[in-house]
Amino acid sequence: MNNAKIQQWLIGIFSVLLIVSLMIVATVEIKKTREYKPEIDIDKITARCITCHEKENIAVKQIDAWEESEHAVMGIGCFECHEAKDGDFDAQRCPESDFLIARHPTPKDCAECHEQQVAEFANSKHAHQFWLFANADRAVYENPISTRHGCEQCHQVGNIWPDGSVGECDVCHAKHSFDLAVARQPETCGECHIGPDHPHIEIYNESKHGNIFITKGGEWDMGYHTADNEPIPIEAPVCVTCHMDGNEKQPMTHNVSARLAWESQSPWSYRTVWDEENLGSWEVKRERMESICKSCHAPNFIETYLVTADLVNLQYNEIRRMFVYWTKKLTNDSLIDRLKADGKFYSNPVLNGWDEVPELEMYHAWHHEGRRFRHGAEMMGADFTQWHGIWDLQEDMVELIAWAAEHGDKEAEEWVESNHPSKFAPYALYDIPGSAWGIPTKTNTTPFVYKDNKDYWDRIKANVETVYKKGLLAEDQWDLWMKRYENKDHYLGLKYSSDVDSTWNFYKERNALDTKAFKEQAVKLNLPGKSFWERKK
Amino acid sequence: MSVKEWLKERFPIDYEKFVEINENIFIKEPIPLHMKKWLLAMGTTPFILLPMQIITGILLAFYFVPSPEMAYESVRYITEEVQLGFWIRGFHHWGANLMIISIFLHMMRVFFTHAYRKPREINWIVGFILLFLVLTISFTGYSLTYNQLSYWAATVGTNLVKETPLIGGFLVNMLRGGESVTANTLTRFYTLHVWLLPLLITLMIVIHIIVLRVHGISEPEGYDKGYYPFYPSHFNKIIIVTLFLISLISLLTVILPPGLGQPADPMNTPLHIKPEWYFFSVFLFLKLVPIKLGILLIGLIVLIMIFWPFIEPLTSKKEDRRAIINYVLGGTAILILIAFTILETISL
Amino acid sequence: MEKEKQQKQTRRDFLFKFGIIGVLVIGIGAFVRNLFLFIFPRKKEVRYHKYLVGRVSKIPLGEAKEITIQKKPVFVVHLEDGFKVFSGICTHLGCIIKWEENNNRFFCPCHKGIFDKTGKVVDGPPPEPLHEYKVEQEEDLVFVYVKDKVKGPWS
Repeated sequence: MNNAKIQQWLIGIFSVLLIVSLMIVATVEIKKTREYKPEIDIDKITARCITCHEKENIAVKQIDAWEESEHAVMGIGCFECHEAKDGDFDAQRCPESDFLIARHPTPKDCAECHEQQVAEFANSKHAHQFWLFANADRAVYENPISTRHGCEQCHQVGNIWPDGSVGECDVCHAKHSFDLAVARQPETCGECHIGPDHPHIEIYNESKHGNIFITKGGEWDMGYHTADNEPIPIEAPVCVTCHMDGNEKQPMTHNVSARLAWESQSPWSYRTVWDEENLGSWEVKRERMESICKSCHAPNFIETYLVTADLVNLQYNEIRRMFVYWTKKLTNDSLIDRLKADGKFYSNPVLNGWDEVPELEMYHAWHHEGRRFRHGAEMMGADFTQWHGIWDLQEDMVELIAWAAEHGDKEAEEWVESNHPSKFAPYALYDIPGSAWGIPTKTNTTPFVYKDNKDYWDRIKANVETVYKKGLLAEDQWDLWMKRYENKDHYLGLKYSSDVDSTWNFYKERNALDTKAFKEQAVKLNLPGKSFWERKK
Repeated sequence: MSVKEWLKERFPIDYEKFVEINENIFIKEPIPLHMKKWLLAMGTTPFILLPMQIITGILLAFYFVPSPEMAYESVRYITEEVQLGFWIRGFHHWGANLMIISIFLHMMRVFFTHAYRKPREINWIVGFILLFLVLTISFTGYSLTYNQLSYWAATVGTNLVKETPLIGGFLVNMLRGGESVTANTLTRFYTLHVWLLPLLITLMIVIHIIVLRVHGISEPEGYDKGYYPFYPSHFNKIIIVTLFLISLISLLTVILPPGLGQPADPMNTPLHIKPEWYFFSVFLFLKLVPIKLGILLIGLIVLIMIFWPFIEPLTSKKEDRRAIINYVLGGTAILILIAFTILETISL
Repeated sequence: MEKEKQQKQTRRDFLFKFGIIGVLVIGIGAFVRNLFLFIFPRKKEVRYHKYLVGRVSKIPLGEAKEITIQKKPVFVVHLEDGFKVFSGICTHLGCIIKWEENNNRFFCPCHKGIFDKTGKVVDGPPPEPLHEYKVEQEEDLVFVYVKDKVKGPWS
């Protein structure tokens, strides 16, 4: 081939290459680092409100918040929510204009656009003022002014308005930006779900879920819309991810009761019957929650985890049975008295009462430690099931029985005088062989109840079978339990206990060194200068 | 009446003569046979890249806003929002880099084939001026993106100018239009980058080519003597190189697109600041020696390089000894340059 | 025979050159096209947002309400079969139309263009009916779809 021909070929080849490269260029999509929000249009009425509010300097930051909201983009201005009719409970004539404005938009106003959300909320336990039915006498212990900014502030979430609507949307959806990221932030739930009675935010922060969120969540965009049946876009769940947001299988809901199978805040744990006609049985609700769990977890793990938590709930009832037994007995024996005025009782031996030790123990064992014990077990708050849970419960029980013994109850005296280790389990037990975390080889070789009772697992099985037959456990849960029961040597790790003796002995030797060290350094220490008190004597 | 006649009436020039001149200086321009070797025809590459830089530069100027508030944002807008904006910006970026690479290669060829020798000393100096103009236009262009790295490169770069003896302070003030890098600096750099320097570069290229043409292309020893006409063979070569460059740059914009970086923050110097790679060797050298001495030494080296065509004859009278000095000096300089650049690249 | 062969040779040569030039022209054409796309950037996707323009209960049947969207006048008209929302800009030469309630029509003062309440031209020079927004009615609320106009220096 001659030179000219080669050159022509080259021109041809490079022309094709150029076309190909330009085609590649055309397909490239550049990731945008900035998203501009649509410019907002302020309608005439809103503009009047803003001008005047700015002039008078009334709640001007709320205007900025509104301008950041999606409402502002959509032309939902002041009057769309704050319009009032004559005679409305919150109607007010704006002093600077002729507008009749609503001081307090209620869920009824929100429902104009967010009908489904308001309806779902109204069907949830958030909207249920249960404490007013059984517990109105609480006010004898705490005077009203103290509860205004106390319990009433949180329980505003279920307020019944003069217009008949229920709830307060901006408890979670901070006005006036109504920012989804704020509503989704765990601290929003933690405004109320905090403290000794239900430390849910603390439990969450203790859990692996909370830890991942605290570590990495700052970089996540929490302002997303969950559409129904869309994948969860964040790596670890926040509160609403499990209780409200949707995933591939579950729709988003404002009914926080839709995925809860227990009433574990109640004095007795029981399988929920809340709004069964719409939400279905507790088993349906449990499946909803499990379906969210399964976005991230293997089924076997969460089923084991949850059945264990269920047994903790049932165990709580058995512990509570002791408190009820003793307070009732002490009431009948007139060792403690109910509060009474004008023929009406103001305390209840099985619920609350504040002027006698057994009543206080009873109240705490339910309202504080009893809830921490159960909720910690449900949401991976180990410390809350352990030290703030069962430990405090046992202390309450010991103190209650000791009080009864001091006040002359024979049965209590007998209990106090007993030396047998089983005295701390004066109630029936539940158990499950092993945990969801793995196979422990030595842990289960120590518990006293295992050693002391050859028929331990048969008695436990009888208990679990009874609650299953009563419908408090689902069939697949019973199957799972039985599978573990039948292979309990495996799940309890007892089967492997002797296999790991060389490892065990290694640590045993180290432990001996530790014991020796503290004996030498501390126990055997004898100081020459005697105590000053001794010298005085 | 034909178009030709119509034109001839309006522009009464000697058309035949025009064609003849065109044939003589363009179509039939005698090209020495050694130019058939691709590596010996490197000088055309920056010349091809220049119009590409001008076109993409004009297009970028349609959108770029030279103000501290808007510079970064407009670069972002070009990259992310404008249709094919990332391509034009990447083209300009990679075009500049390739231009510097090709100039270095061209200079190497000229140096080692002794093409700078009498009577072509002036063109070597013109070429050197072109190199400085291109480095300056690259520096100012890089600073215009106004991200953290480019902002601090501008600050450090202009601070170096301050070390120039006697007129340093005056020069920095003139460049920055104030005490520090501000809006004034940005508009100055912009003016330099979009018209003053391009104009100077074009002017110098014209001189470069006129000088080249009046002397004819230098012919290195050891190749067949003889000539071939510019058209079609060499013309085709230019087309091939052009097509290849456009394709290469387009692919580079996709594979290695220039990033946006973080917006410039005059209150906060990033941990690792670095100039563009072609300043690495100087950057490293200035880190190793005291700054005043460094500037003086670099100035000295540059002066020697610029006036090398006049210095070389003083080194030795013997032709072959001079050739050896040429190879040794050139080779050492290139090795040091490469070594410094690599060292700076791998250092954090 | 020899001649035929030569002819074939030149024809093949011609086709070859033609092909090369063709590819070259397409390559350069694609390049120039991309440059033009850069100069006249087309927004890749136009996004819309919903905007509340009124309530069914607030606008009596047959009446028009004037509002402002993106600083331009807009009319919301309650008709028998739902709502229509018109841009208040005359399709003739861009003056602002007025709603004349007693005449039940839109009137443009510049060249006496007249539109009826469904936006159709009744009289005068306007070449086409009033521009409409896409309307969506959700129970009592009337929304239109408005093109996103982004905040920032580029709009």
